[in-house]
Amino acid sequence: MFMRLIRTIKGNKPQPLQDWQAMFAQWAKDAPEGPLKRYYEAGTVALDTKLKDTPLLALDLETTGLNSKTDEIISLGSVPMDHRIVRCNGAQYWMAKPKGTLNAESVTIHEITHSELAEAPPLHRILNEILNTLSGKVVVVHCVSIEREFLLEAALNVYGFPLYFPVLDTMDIERLALSKTPWWKRIIARRPSLRLDACRQRYHLPRYKAHHALTDALSSAELLQAQISYHLDPEANISDYWL
Amino acid sequence: MDVELTEIVEALCQYAPFNELADDPQLYDMVKEIEIQYLRAGEWAIQPGVLNHTLFFIRSGAVETLGKEQKLIRRMNEGELFGSASLLRGGKFSQSMRAIEDSLLYRIPARWFLKLYEENDAFSDFFELDREVRLKVAMESQISSVSLLTCPVVSLLRRPPIGIDIDADIRMAAQMMADKKVSSLLIMEDNALVGILTDRDLRNRVVAAGLDYDTPVGKVMTRDPVVMDSGDYAAEAVLKMMEKNIHHIPIVKANHPIGVISTGDIVQTESHGSIYLISDIHKQTSIEGLQAISHKMTHTFTQLVLADANTQMIGNAMSHIGIAFVKRLLQLGEEKFGKPPVPYCFVALGSQAREEQTIKTDQDNALILSNLYDPKEHGDYFENLSQWVCQNLDACGYPLCTGDVMASNTLWRQPLEQWKKYFSDWIQDPKAEALLRLSIFFDLKGVYGEKHLAKELNKHIRQEAKQNPGFLTFMARNANQRKPPLGFFRQFVLDGEGKQSRTFNLKERGIAPIIDIVRVHALACGSDKLNTLERIEDIEAAGLLPDGRAKDLALALEMIGMVRIRSQKDQIEKEEAPTNQVNPAYLSSFEKRHLRDAFHIVARQQEFIKFRYAGKRS
Repeated sequence: MFMRLIRTIKGNKPQPLQDWQAMFAQWAKDAPEGPLKRYYEAGTVALDTKLKDTPLLALDLETTGLNSKTDEIISLGSVPMDHRIVRCNGAQYWMAKPKGTLNAESVTIHEITHSELAEAPPLHRILNEILNTLSGKVVVVHCVSIEREFLLEAALNVYGFPLYFPVLDTMDIERLALSKTPWWKRIIARRPSLRLDACRQRYHLPRYKAHHALTDALSSAELLQAQISYHLDPEANISDYWL
Repeated sequence: MDVELTEIVEALCQYAPFNELADDPQLYDMVKEIEIQYLRAGEWAIQPGVLNHTLFFIRSGAVETLGKEQKLIRRMNEGELFGSASLLRGGKFSQSMRAIEDSLLYRIPARWFLKLYEENDAFSDFFELDREVRLKVAMESQISSVSLLTCPVVSLLRRPPIGIDIDADIRMAAQMMADKKVSSLLIMEDNALVGILTDRDLRNRVVAAGLDYDTPVGKVMTRDPVVMDSGDYAAEAVLKMMEKNIHHIPIVKANHPIGVISTGDIVQTESHGSIYLISDIHKQTSIEGLQAISHKMTHTFTQLVLADANTQMIGNAMSHIGIAFVKRLLQLGEEKFGKPPVPYCFVALGSQAREEQTIKTDQDNALILSNLYDPKEHGDYFENLSQWVCQNLDACGYPLCTGDVMASNTLWRQPLEQWKKYFSDWIQDPKAEALLRLSIFFDLKGVYGEKHLAKELNKHIRQEAKQNPGFLTFMARNANQRKPPLGFFRQFVLDGEGKQSRTFNLKERGIAPIIDIVRVHALACGSDKLNTLERIEDIEAAGLLPDGRAKDLALALEMIGMVRIRSQKDQIEKEEAPTNQVNPAYLSSFEKRHLRDAFHIVARQQEFIKFRYAGKRS
């Protein structure tokens, strides 16, 4: 009845399950002394932890563009949750002053002004705090690549070592949930949108203004709750779902 | 960096009581402690018997409250709160809450609720008020307001009855009335009530007639007066007074008089004066006089609304006033054109017949003539009389019917035999489109003249309907023509055209559909009632509807009717013409919530009659 997120591409064998705990142990050895090493040393959840027992953290970044090599993070929002409750109590929001200049386009998207950013600390000053927030959590994002690439790049710049974290990707979950629709329905129907707002509407979730890091984090947190109650098994191992 | 959960704050502040807290920094602290929970339809928010520590805010979706044995108590939608009652009682919960749609809930910790309840008056008032309103809804079968008009007559009695023996003379009687300062005396014979003597009788039957004061009271009293039982409602007394044009009614308990109520007793506390209005109408001798009274109608209407009268009472009062105009005009008409050559009955149709008239409604009427009628001989008389009456009703604020359903139309001024033939045709060979226009004829009441003509016709209609079940299929389809304005996510759907783009029509989309539904059931069970609430009682007694569903209909009708009446009162106060349109933006959240529930009931019951009277498929 519940979906197992085992990605089978035609003709290929299923991917082996990822053991994030083992990988964290390895990186804890390899990472240079400092905050990042302590982050890996703190470890992460075991692969046989049940989804319902997994501490989760919904996360969203706003950036100056889509290229992690040239563009920069300007704000981050996060909110802790588990499989059925989102806790505003632990919500956090950071702004980071970019090194480069802001272009007008991204300013209008994020509604963050130059002066607000001018007063914000640079990213390297808050990265330590962000690592503490991520520590021990499985991170919930909508579309994993952005968050992963930008934070990886940021850690490489600041600590000279990559930052990795286990992820539940609500976009990926939605794609797999939709692929359960019979093929003939998929042919008839228009290809469904995987945008955050479109996914939320499928679960009758309210519409939010997009492009504020904390609101978007909240959005994906609520979306994951809805997806869990419809498609996932809270008793299943987290390794069935994480990326 | 300051964490601002803008989305959540904004969502809360759209609704009472949080809108009162919009500027309060505490609100922001509270929001930081909110937990968010998604429930799929069917999942529990508060399970039966589990201790509750949370105030719930419905961010989206819908939740139902269930009482003992899973009995549905209330449905709640976006923006509503629940759990407060249990928090005030230390978490104990007698009710359970379940999502009926996919819902997103904000969970506000109990300590925040208790703190704000303690510190903020606007906040605690909200929950007090909420509780009252809920109580009111819970007493759904007794839609009574606190109005005097709906209390028992016995509560209006102010003193024991003053009586005199039938052998006493008029002088003694008048002396006693003066001593006791009363306007009426009960006349007793062998300890039993045999008559009543009033101020008016002394004036009209004694002084004006030049009678000797030694005459025994038995000669001038009204014998066998209209009496009421102590358990009857004051409202019925008012109606009886209006109907019979009397000012005093003895109240009896076990056949023994315990007091008298007078119009004064009622008017003193209910200064709406609709009773005076009716007796004024009967006193007028000219059209101008009647017109002058018609201008007071809006005032009477707003007074009734202010006096907390329910829609049933207001409908009654407005209909009786309307009928009083008709009666008086016919009397004046008969003076003008002479005595009628053959018996006839003037009938009210639609809302006036159902006693559900509101302010400013079109006239809908007809004339049933005796079968002795001969068009050649009597045609001109009735043509003149009905033209005159309909034109003057128009002059008195009852506009001519746009569909020409009036006694002035030859089609609707026919002998009883022809009327019976009309109905037999309509019922035996129903045509959907025609019936839509004709449904108004199925609410038909004789108001003046030979009322037995109307009675006989009504009997004929009931018989025909009973023998032709196929007809009900058509009526049921008609009752499904006008849909309540509810969208997919329980939003109101607005009419969306021109001036009325932000409104919807309460009559067309709520009240009329209920009346239509009830009429179908009433015809099915052969009820001879016209009033919708009375019909609902008959329908319930006949067991046509599942338990409680009949009461639902009555509740929905009262709810929608009340919103309409209040909005019309507001329009009158703003010196606008009263309409049936209402803009949901101007409704309170209570009104919106209950209106939504009411419309839901209508939609469900429309579905039900479609299947109940499905008929044979062709």
